[in-house]
Amino acid sequence: MAEQNQHGMLPRASHDELARQNFVQSFKIHLATRVSPGNERIYEQRAKARFKRKHRRAPRDRHEVRGLMTAEPYYRMWSALQRTSQEMMWDSVATSVERQLDALVARGRGAGGAGGTLTLDPELALPAYHAAVDIHCQPGGYHTELTADDVAAGAIYDRAVYIYAMGRMGPFNDDLGRSVANWLRHEHPEFKPEKILDLGCSVGHSTIPYVEAYPEAEVHGIDVAAPMLRYAHARAEALGKRIHLSQQNAERTNFADRSFDLIVSHILLHETSAQAIGRVIAECRRLLRPGGMMIHAEVPQFEGLPPYAAFMLDWDTYNNNEPFWGHYHDLDLAQLATEARFKPKGVKQIMVPSAFEQARARTGLLQGGDFGGAGAWFLFIAHR
Amino acid sequence: MSRKAKGKRPTYFENPECDKLLAITMALAGEVAVVRERLDTIERLLEGKGTLTTAEIERYRPDEKIAAERERWRAEYLERLLRIIHHELESVEKGEAPDSYQRAIEEVSS
Repeated sequence: MAEQNQHGMLPRASHDELARQNFVQSFKIHLATRVSPGNERIYEQRAKARFKRKHRRAPRDRHEVRGLMTAEPYYRMWSALQRTSQEMMWDSVATSVERQLDALVARGRGAGGAGGTLTLDPELALPAYHAAVDIHCQPGGYHTELTADDVAAGAIYDRAVYIYAMGRMGPFNDDLGRSVANWLRHEHPEFKPEKILDLGCSVGHSTIPYVEAYPEAEVHGIDVAAPMLRYAHARAEALGKRIHLSQQNAERTNFADRSFDLIVSHILLHETSAQAIGRVIAECRRLLRPGGMMIHAEVPQFEGLPPYAAFMLDWDTYNNNEPFWGHYHDLDLAQLATEARFKPKGVKQIMVPSAFEQARARTGLLQGGDFGGAGAWFLFIAHR
Repeated sequence: MSRKAKGKRPTYFENPECDKLLAITMALAGEVAVVRERLDTIERLLEGKGTLTTAEIERYRPDEKIAAERERWRAEYLERLLRIIHHELESVEKGEAPDSYQRAIEEVSS
């Protein structure tokens, strides 16, 4: 497995911290390749057969499959191990970040050189969907601050994303942004966005590919979490990429109408809420110039998936602090777009190849409600 | 820094203690991997410096005295590790009734 790029802001792991993180990565790979696939055999051979004998039909949806599988010892053991691997991952990174936090904060304070900007808004309210639980089990979530000018949550996230993705997001964790940018340049070579906005940009790992794809463009990123943005700013500056970051909620920003040619998000929508998602799409409509485009990269909707596959992809809803994951994946995205006054013929839902997996052999490593690993990303697109 | 993510942790087994035991076991497995990797680093550094080779480690056979010391260590180690297994049997052999501890509390309290 390729190593993560040791850019200027990435926390430095000691020998034992790295060994601990290596173990978690191997543990996750083992679960994904050696244990998780067995769940389907248990389902097919035991759980489904039991259900059929009783009901004279196969389970209809993922909820019926979940009812069956949560009684299966094999599934329980895998689930418990998967949850434990997630907790160990955060722990192995948080311990390392905490040890060097003063140095990271100092590096963050000294960031500069690439010409990007950072605008924080301490008055911005944290949305309820961030406050309710710590999303995907990161202790403290995206937002918790431990010290002045804190960057800890960002530093933890940057390293943990790499371990979680088992390296499949590439050495810069930028596969999502890179896959979208590659697709855009290939499919829309005439499209030359002058202003680009990345919603819920966290540490800016998906934002940077747009700076590289469109060097003339002005690239903005927003997020609700200050420690993410401070880290994102320092990270981008360390990598020599100019991004303008501001602390804002994607449901309602302070940008003027028709500010952007391209608005993107990367695995953001499933971390919002049923109420918020409509407002995010409407805000995209308001901010886009005529001829502009919004692209939200996610993993595919559940529609059309066999009940077992949908059940496995829904694991995170119940086991990894992703409360909106299941509801989101049942939504009619085209309807959401038209409700926000996008024209139906401009709305597309497509799969695009992963830039990283294109460049390498496909790994096909899938965990529970995974992001990535299938060699392709799902894009929800609407033209203004 | 908090080490617990906000949001109630699911339980996976009939007995919630099993959830905890599994997490403890995996944490231990992780620490064994850390020690193993550190030892591997030491061996490779020593080999790089020409102090010893991994082949020498593989060829190494303890003499009788050292072999006996190692055997003693392993026996003590297993005794410590599996202490809990012996409790039940020892309790039976000593004739400890299931309610004997409760009786002891009552006895010293009356």
